[in-house]
Amino acid sequence: MKITLILLLLCSLWPAAADAQNPTREITDPTGRSVTLPATPRRVVSLAPGITEIIFALEREDILLGTTQFSNYPPAAQKITRIGSYVHPDLERIVALRPDLVLATRDGNPRRVIERLEALQIPVFAIDPRNLAEIKASLSALGTVLNAEAQAAALVADMETRLARLRQLTARIEHRPLVFFQVDAAPMVSVGEETFLHELIILAGGRNAAAGGPAYPRFGWEQILTLQPEVTIITSMAGGQSPEELRRAWEQWPQLKAVQNGRVHVVDADLFDRPTHRLLDGLEILARLIQPQIMAPVPAAAEPER
Amino acid sequence: MPVPLPSLLKTMLLLILLSGALLLVAVFFGLATGSSGLNPGELWTLIFRREQADPVTAAIIWQIRLPRVVLAAAAGATLALGGLVFQALLRNPLAEPYILGISGGAAVGALLGMMVGFASFPGVSLLAFAGSMATLLLVLSLAGGRHAPGKDTLLLGGVMMNAFCGALIMLLLALADNTRLRHALFWLMGDLSQIGREQLPLLLLLLPAMALVLLLARPLNLLLLGRESAAAMGVNVRAVSLTLLAVTSFMVGIVVSQAGLIGFVGLVVPHVFRLLVGPDHRLLIPACLLGGAAYLIACDLIARVLPAGEMPVGIVTALIGAPLFIFLLWKARP
Amino acid sequence: MNVVSTDNLTLAYQRQPILSRVTFTVAAGEFFLIIGPNGSGKTSLLKAVAGLLAPAAGRVEVFGRPPREQPRRDFARRVAVVPQQTPADFPFRVAETVLMGRSPHLRLWELEKEADHRLAAEIMAFTEITHLADRRLDQLSGGERQRVFIARALCQQPRLLLLDEPTAALDPAHQIKILDLLERLRRDQGVTIIMISHDLNLAAMYGDRLLLLSDGGMAGLGTPKEVLTYDQLEKSYGCLMLVDENPLGQVPRVIPVPEKYAAPYGRTGQK
Repeated sequence: MKITLILLLLCSLWPAAADAQNPTREITDPTGRSVTLPATPRRVVSLAPGITEIIFALEREDILLGTTQFSNYPPAAQKITRIGSYVHPDLERIVALRPDLVLATRDGNPRRVIERLEALQIPVFAIDPRNLAEIKASLSALGTVLNAEAQAAALVADMETRLARLRQLTARIEHRPLVFFQVDAAPMVSVGEETFLHELIILAGGRNAAAGGPAYPRFGWEQILTLQPEVTIITSMAGGQSPEELRRAWEQWPQLKAVQNGRVHVVDADLFDRPTHRLLDGLEILARLIQPQIMAPVPAAAEPER
Repeated sequence: MPVPLPSLLKTMLLLILLSGALLLVAVFFGLATGSSGLNPGELWTLIFRREQADPVTAAIIWQIRLPRVVLAAAAGATLALGGLVFQALLRNPLAEPYILGISGGAAVGALLGMMVGFASFPGVSLLAFAGSMATLLLVLSLAGGRHAPGKDTLLLGGVMMNAFCGALIMLLLALADNTRLRHALFWLMGDLSQIGREQLPLLLLLLPAMALVLLLARPLNLLLLGRESAAAMGVNVRAVSLTLLAVTSFMVGIVVSQAGLIGFVGLVVPHVFRLLVGPDHRLLIPACLLGGAAYLIACDLIARVLPAGEMPVGIVTALIGAPLFIFLLWKARP
Repeated sequence: MNVVSTDNLTLAYQRQPILSRVTFTVAAGEFFLIIGPNGSGKTSLLKAVAGLLAPAAGRVEVFGRPPREQPRRDFARRVAVVPQQTPADFPFRVAETVLMGRSPHLRLWELEKEADHRLAAEIMAFTEITHLADRRLDQLSGGERQRVFIARALCQQPRLLLLDEPTAALDPAHQIKILDLLERLRRDQGVTIIMISHDLNLAAMYGDRLLLLSDGGMAGLGTPKEVLTYDQLEKSYGCLMLVDENPLGQVPRVIPVPEKYAAPYGRTGQK
């Protein structure tokens, strides 16, 4: 009985205290939820490595107090307090940081955690970018929320510039090679049309060998031999194997065109895993690998292979 | 010349006092410790000097830790009691609460719910409970008939059901994508982190069930003599067996639907208390209830404060329980 | 008044017939023995009387009503069973085991009272197991264990005591001890005793009346003299039997004849 009274008292005090010191505003997040959050957030927790990347890019890392386990980019992000994993965030550690705003993604963060944070009167702003357009929208939304609209606009503009340039270059191509993009090993998993990787493949001037199926279809070698992809791109952490092991698995099939032409490549997974502006770096790398001739005049943004 | 027998009632009260005290200590530490650090002093303040309490710590303790501690207590008590009852009913020291296939059915239900995209509550929980009751009914009807369910048929039916469900679980896991896979694994290893205060009233359903089992303590003693001898001493073997089976399975089903599959509590705790307290179920039942509760609170505490990040509590109970069981076996060798 | 009466009782187990058309009565205070070769259905008959096995046909009545129609607890207050064997892993101590016999007299939630403890103590003295009170059952000899289960049965304060070969694993001294105990019970308190026995001579010496079962039915019913005849025994047991008079009393003495002594007796058992 007394406990209930204490809690009622505390819960009624909390938002009042918030109102007095920290005026709030209401914004609808990209997933359609209407969120009441501080006009000037000062204590932010991120529930995904991609979101953390964006916060640093928006130059708002000073208000970032906690993030999930694999937030490794930029390197400074590794010093931020860990609050559990992306799939299993630790509620207690989050609350102990006393955040006034939590940034989450709908795909991956358990809904339960979000519900409980809201029950504790902590506002949660969720994004859910599925393609490049939605990534741009998320960047803008986060820029608004974190009062970094200028930086967000700059990032979006950069993305658009690079996209435009790429479209220009790939407008004139004659041949779109068949590309097999591998994201997991044992079993081999590729990407279907509902993923943003599919969009990247198309923009980079290729055709997705795994189109026309589920989002993460599985493949056996028999199917690969039938499909005969011309280019194979493998993300570096696929199945936890090293790049050498991943490449070797392909090289045991000299009948494959990709193998004969030496077009089996391993790329840095972090550039392709996270729905952030850095996908553009990944996209340019992809274009360089899929359409090497047309990409020659473009300066390299990052190491293409590891 | 009368033979002096220790008064059962006195022993019972002493036992309840001691294990109750143990439980209180466990609850205190369960509330005072967590992944955000130790706050025994602040817990003290919260209880006794409320005005000075910090609202965030209050939220952590009452809204995050308290539901977990309550669920840990309820689950520990239920699983220990379940193990005790099944070990007596099936006259098998390796029996534990999942042995009749409840765990298999619950897991299949829960994983189906996760694949479909239900939230932990109510979707996944409900399906887990439904799954557990479905497998229970199947196993009971296999072993049933006009007579009390034969214990060997029950055991076999339960083992087969668990094996079959195990195959289904593998299938579902193979079809899952990585994120769902990790959620599923947490559930399969026992996860007390999902519970919030709104689900706690559900646990009140456990209380009448526990009381009913306690009432049947003496018939449970008599059942150890074998079905016919128990019947010859006035026990309605069929009614008592079915009631105990149904009530215990119901309790375990509720706990599993909220906490996933926590193992080794139902297997090990009854044996520990049998060593300490003897074979009389009138003492064992309160001991397992209170002791099981304290034990799981302690295990969950350990699971929460690991520096590497929270572990599913089922791992802790397995890592402690298995060696403990081996130790008990070693001590009991002739 | 007849404590037990059966009328054309037929018993079967999973559609296999065991006994058919058994009819007999047992009067109050009788020492009634059921004898017969292995597999003749003696235990099943006892279970039927105890209400643990339903008749396939015919009737059995105990204290006037079929046992399976009587409330279990009430029945257990009047009829107690001493089984032939008990589970080897029974974890209780002697005193606790004996005290369990009081269960039919207690409600579900009741604990044993002072009076119950005193009764148990008296009965343990009567069965001479007081010195074993704190021992675990698996630490006892066969004879001691049997006395414990008799003591437990006696705690039920039954009017009818059913025993399934209580002396099977005992040496002669212990056999006599237990049977004398039962005889005392019968004589002093009027308890009716129905017992299964393999030992034909003990049956003859203690039994008021015997029931001989063989070949799936009744083969003899009556006093020891009437039932223990050499031709009936040979027919039922299928071996040569010498029957003469027991020097201790006017009851028959039965001696199964080994091959090396069989010559003078030819095939009829008469010299």
